[in-house]
Amino acid sequence: MDRKRSPAPFGVNQVIPIAAAAMAGVFIWLGLGRYGFWHEDKGPLPGFFPVVIATAMLIFSAFAFFASFKEAAPSWPRANWYVVLSVALIIGATFLLGLIPSIAIYLLVWLRLYERCSWRATLVTFGVVMAIVVGCFVLWLGVPFPKGIIFELIFR
Amino acid sequence: MKKTSAFVVLPLVLAIASPLFANGTKEAADSAFKPSKDIEWFVSSSPGGGSDIYTRMISDIMTRGDLSGGQSFLVANKTDGGGEVVRLQVSRVAAGAQADHTLLTFNSGDLMPMVKNTANRLENFTPIALMAVDKQLLYIGEMSKYKSFAEIIAAVKGGAKVVIAGSKGDDVATYELLVKELGFTQSQIAYITNDATSGAITSILGGHVDLVISKPAAADQYVVAGKLTPVLALSKTRFTGNLAGAPRLSELGAYKDVEFPVWRGVVAPKSMSPAAVAYWSRALKEVSESAAWQSDYIGKFKLQPAYMTSSETAAFMAEFQATYLKSIGK
Amino acid sequence: MENIQLLMHGFAVLFTVQNVGAMALGAVLGLIVGAMPGIGSLAGVALLLPLTYRFNPTTAIIMLGALYYANMYGGAFSAILLNIPGDSPAVMTALDGYPMATVRKRPGQALLTSNISSFIGGLVGMVILTFTGPALANFGLRFGPVEMTALLLVAMTSIGWLVGENPTKGLLLTAFGILLACVGMDTLSGSPRYEFGNIYLLGGISFTPFVIGIVGFAQVIKLMEERSLQVKAAADKLTLRGSMVTRHDLKRLLPPALRSGVLGTFVGVLPGAGATTASFMGYAAQKSFKSEEPLGSGAIEGIAACESANNAAAAGAFAPLLALGIPGSGTGAVLLGGLMMWGLNPGPLLFVNEPDFAWGLIASLFLANLVTLLIAWGVIPFLIKILSVPTRLLIPCITVICVVGSYSTSNSMYGVVVMFLSGIVGYVLQKARYSTAPVLLAFVLAPMLESNMRKSFIISRGSLGIFFEKPISLTLLVVLSAIVLFTAARPLLVRAGLLKSKGAGQ
Repeated sequence: MDRKRSPAPFGVNQVIPIAAAAMAGVFIWLGLGRYGFWHEDKGPLPGFFPVVIATAMLIFSAFAFFASFKEAAPSWPRANWYVVLSVALIIGATFLLGLIPSIAIYLLVWLRLYERCSWRATLVTFGVVMAIVVGCFVLWLGVPFPKGIIFELIFR
Repeated sequence: MKKTSAFVVLPLVLAIASPLFANGTKEAADSAFKPSKDIEWFVSSSPGGGSDIYTRMISDIMTRGDLSGGQSFLVANKTDGGGEVVRLQVSRVAAGAQADHTLLTFNSGDLMPMVKNTANRLENFTPIALMAVDKQLLYIGEMSKYKSFAEIIAAVKGGAKVVIAGSKGDDVATYELLVKELGFTQSQIAYITNDATSGAITSILGGHVDLVISKPAAADQYVVAGKLTPVLALSKTRFTGNLAGAPRLSELGAYKDVEFPVWRGVVAPKSMSPAAVAYWSRALKEVSESAAWQSDYIGKFKLQPAYMTSSETAAFMAEFQATYLKSIGK
Repeated sequence: MENIQLLMHGFAVLFTVQNVGAMALGAVLGLIVGAMPGIGSLAGVALLLPLTYRFNPTTAIIMLGALYYANMYGGAFSAILLNIPGDSPAVMTALDGYPMATVRKRPGQALLTSNISSFIGGLVGMVILTFTGPALANFGLRFGPVEMTALLLVAMTSIGWLVGENPTKGLLLTAFGILLACVGMDTLSGSPRYEFGNIYLLGGISFTPFVIGIVGFAQVIKLMEERSLQVKAAADKLTLRGSMVTRHDLKRLLPPALRSGVLGTFVGVLPGAGATTASFMGYAAQKSFKSEEPLGSGAIEGIAACESANNAAAAGAFAPLLALGIPGSGTGAVLLGGLMMWGLNPGPLLFVNEPDFAWGLIASLFLANLVTLLIAWGVIPFLIKILSVPTRLLIPCITVICVVGSYSTSNSMYGVVVMFLSGIVGYVLQKARYSTAPVLLAFVLAPMLESNMRKSFIISRGSLGIFFEKPISLTLLVVLSAIVLFTAARPLLVRAGLLKSKGAGQ
């Protein structure tokens, strides 16, 4: 996804309308086939509203698709996807380590290794964020964050 | 830090884990159980709803009556997937201390969508106790066209169409029984499902529907204020107090009484140890006998007290599930 | 004037050290909870309900009232400073609040605008509530499924104001938002829909994580591009004095705040609508009035319109709650639960049986509004320091808050996954020059529109005629067709020289 600025005629501008059309197709198919459209006494069935909207979406996506070739393709700087990647890693690590430790590791690694902050900046930021998360969310509001497989194994 | 210690201890733990757990469960079964950590109590509906009030009422009485062994209850409302997610999660808790400290609020309104929409079944839980039974009535509003249920039956026979508003789950089931018993079709007496009874009451107060189906608790104050009038008791016996005026269906003609009891219970993971099951079942019995429960819950919200032990509850819920599954052809 | 007397009596009940202390505490806690993404007012009130058990009912409910209000204020803070709406009504605040704080470099003024408008909205709502009380609640009752359908259709046309430069893209995303909202349990038929066998999707896509993702997380991803640029707020603006609004600002903020206050109160009274809908409608309505700067670019009018509307709706929602015992929102339901725990039954009998309490509560809402304004004002200088944090430090912090906040909405990793995916979608869409505001509006309004429409058809047995038989819905449909016709005819009228072009201002 991290393509550089390219004049390629086919890119995300076209993918979005196509994806939208595909989604509309699925909603129409399931709506008509499985959920029902109209009942003579009850009026609209569960499929009615989504099918109507999906049909409209199909039409809009066709317009958007043909208009898309006139638009400039956006650029996708690689750095932006590191944020996405890190959250994906946090989600993955949560199942193993638990949410709080995963966040703690992420903060330290990101600040110290990626941003190359000084230890002082790293620890101050780390301290403030963890104080909010642990202090407010965990201790005060009592949000039960997942503890992860490893913790469960040890402290059951 | 937690994580570093976790890494160091991990291999060690893996080595000794299995014998340790085996010991743990055996021991628990032998000796008397007492809560040794905070109890996680799950509710599959939003804070402030009927199930939530029920749960907090029980946990409150338990804490005050020292039935929690000095531990606290962590009531968690998890509504993902219409509650199915948390029900699945509770059913899958592995044996051990966690399983002995996990409870789930469970009503007939929870069981019905669960078995209808998912493969999860009652058999994946340990029923702990049944606490109370709720029943419904039909009410007319100030603006209703009809003044009694007999009038409504006559009107529908004469070609009129009537709309009932109510909540989900058990209210719908009661409505379906009623229509069947009356021999009408669902287009002669139509039903509007609301997210909660309060929505149904809103629409009858505004005169948008003809009838509303509700449990006594939700409709009580409107009856007192004269905004709603009970016209039919969906029960085999008449209600008492200000609901006594509502006749049963059998009083209105050659019909059988229609009743669909809505029970409120508590279940635990299937893997909860027998000692813990006995403990919680006994604790809930004490709650059900407490003055606070009798007056602040049962009396106030006009439920019928119906405490059942763990095994009685299991049998009762199993029969309910079987009947319901048969009724939806599953 | 009996109401005023009763209200004054309410104030007399109110003034004890304990009550005022409880109110201030409620306001502070509410601000914090409100500012925290993921913990909306519903969860906030629910979480803090146990805390109030120690007090007598009047004190407790005063504290809850303050908390409820303060939540509405707090939600705007994170929306303005971080572009992460603290709760769903703050979505619209972010649209103008964040640009005003960053692009226009007036963070203090943005926060203050939001506070003052919240105050005005709340005040307007409470005044209307005091004078009309049960009559207002009864007005809300007249909106049954049929009337609500017509009203929501009118509200949906406001999406037209939000679609931005490219109508096709805006409409495409509107449809996208509606379809996403269709996923999950269908209440009316009690059967699952578009859940693809997935147990999480059965419960639908949760709104708060979705908003945190599509607005907040997408913003963080985008921030990576700007992290080398050192955008720092000037130091002199980080003081209380530096964040004062000018007389001119005040003049800009007043009309939209008052208008939205009235609009919001009525939306709050309607069954099932609530603060989020009110802020959407307030904002959309502002689009048809004059704003000094274009909406969406950091206009004071934009912040004022939606913040005032959502607080007014919070006040309006008390009418059906107190007079009829009907909670207009999830938060209302929790408050109702709280009231019942103290043996107080809100409903038709409340004003008769417990006048002290009822008027005490209304009086406390007035006072809570004022106390919250003062406290919120006081914390502004501390809050805007956030903006002087370098972007590269802010990115991991906001990322963590997004994760933690989206987890906390339902205590489940599902929320985090929803946030993550919608964040990516939001980022990609923004890069491709789609404006994501219509998705959110559609997501909120469409489920209400669908369920009310289907309820109407059940009542009418599938006949369309019912929408033309009822006076309120007929009126609304006339309004609807006028809006549609006017929009369609506008280009023709402009061409004919009968109307001025909307020009660059919009």
